[in-house]
Amino acid sequence: MIEVRGVTKSFGSVLAVDGVTLDVEQGQAVALLGANGAGKSTLLKCILGLLDYSGVITVDGRDVNDNPKQTKSLIGYVPQEPEFYDIRTRDILRFFASIRRVKNERIDHVLELTGLKEHELKSTTELSGGMRQRLSFAIALLSEPPVLILDEPTSNLDAQARKDFLTLVCTYKNEGKTVLFSSHRLDEVDLLADRALFMRAGKVILEAKPENLGETLGLKVKINLNMAEESVDRAMSLLLEGGFPGVTKNGAGLDVEIESSRRMALIKKLIESGIELWDFSVDEPTMEDLVKQIEENGY
Amino acid sequence: MDIKNVLLIMRKEAAESLKNRWFILYTGCFSALALLVLLIATSGTNIAGFTGYGRTAASLINLVLLFVPLIALITGGISIASERENGTLSYLLSHPVTKSEVFFGKYLGLLIVIWFSISIGFGIAGVGVALRGGGGDVTNYLITALLSALLAASLLGVGFMVSAFSTKASKAIGICVFLWLFFIVLGDLGIMGTTVVLDLGIRQVLILALLNPGEVFKIASVLVLSPRFEILGPVGVYAVRTFGREGIFYLLFSIMALWTLVPLLLAYTVFSRLRKEEL
Repeated sequence: MIEVRGVTKSFGSVLAVDGVTLDVEQGQAVALLGANGAGKSTLLKCILGLLDYSGVITVDGRDVNDNPKQTKSLIGYVPQEPEFYDIRTRDILRFFASIRRVKNERIDHVLELTGLKEHELKSTTELSGGMRQRLSFAIALLSEPPVLILDEPTSNLDAQARKDFLTLVCTYKNEGKTVLFSSHRLDEVDLLADRALFMRAGKVILEAKPENLGETLGLKVKINLNMAEESVDRAMSLLLEGGFPGVTKNGAGLDVEIESSRRMALIKKLIESGIELWDFSVDEPTMEDLVKQIEENGY
Repeated sequence: MDIKNVLLIMRKEAAESLKNRWFILYTGCFSALALLVLLIATSGTNIAGFTGYGRTAASLINLVLLFVPLIALITGGISIASERENGTLSYLLSHPVTKSEVFFGKYLGLLIVIWFSISIGFGIAGVGVALRGGGGDVTNYLITALLSALLAASLLGVGFMVSAFSTKASKAIGICVFLWLFFIVLGDLGIMGTTVVLDLGIRQVLILALLNPGEVFKIASVLVLSPRFEILGPVGVYAVRTFGREGIFYLLFSIMALWTLVPLLLAYTVFSRLRKEEL
């Protein structure tokens, strides 16, 4: 659906995207990962035809530079920080529905879908950050485009708004649409992506399936175990003997650093050994951990 | 260029501008002053050959010269620059629209709104004259309104040109205020000063006046309203004697049309040549 061939983009002397080649198949969800300044947003804007570039980009077989209108009509775009005209929510949807030649009935559908129905008469300036993000998603869905491009869509959302937004994107993805998104968050990649591409200094330096990303890079999760004080030493010995070397005391129990795939085995072992767990939590690796690991692995 | 997209953007632009508090304030002030002009103009007797519509139109000329260029220049100046600055232009262009559709849609939308505002001012004054018994030539009154509309169109184009060059709305506003001072406030003084310093002949003075859209509007409006072209002084007499009364009128109209088309096309050229990352 999306083909990127040797795309390079510079801003003055700064090389933002450096000869990137990638494919996104129809119905696939692909995540672009990377630290700030890695070139993710620039690459997405090139695909949207919002930036000049060298190389070739096609969407559904059509060259982005030669057929800008046709390719844009195939794409729904959710920017990182959406900016809207100061008009009512319903009116801005009506405006973009007209631009995309979509019937007005569709407006009510996307308003319902994104939970904005009760805010349809509010001006866009009265909407919160989460609502604005949902509005940009509603606009992106108006014409039911086969491709959705999301540029760090949840970076400005609180936890609940992020969860609601991701649920919406999952629904869209499950309809068989193509999704290309950039993200800072590995949990989003786990939830949404079929493939993850890691970018650094304008280049795609690593590709992996999200479920294998941690293992590919040797990333570990940190499990905090909360238990009675008298159980701590026994649990620690059990885990060390059972092949879980990264165990440390934390005052209220234990912290264990293990591969993500072994987390259930750890819990099972403790329960089978009669250790009563009061609570536990999992700290997933962050993008910073990922970047650090990639650099340590010499990619 | 898809005309439907141009009209859609035009409608959106007009709807947004009509809600803008600065526009509402401007229209309110212009209308209130037009009403005041009406009361003053229709309170006395025949002065300088003007009566009813003619006198009201003559009084409105100065009001138009003050207000219309200012609002047209500033509205045009912030049109593209502010959208570039806040990111709405880039977002709009991520949809299936072209730069030319955006440009002309915005221009037409803003022009309609300014024309609407001028219509209210002239409308209030016109209805007022009719209610006070009329008098004078309605056609000439309407031609003055048309010239005001042309003045708005030309300076809106100048404003768009400034906007296409500017990356920040504040910078565009600054340049537009300077142009307003240059064209309108300092226009007459500039011509007089240049004439004295360079010892210009009457022909050169006329050419100098015709280079300023504000002066062109003023000369054309006075010519429309006054049966006595001597009111324009030696330059007016020279112009009418050289081109004829009809000829000078067509010449002024043509210059106004050029002042509309040339800046607009220049603005479009600049805008269409902006690199994508500059939008």
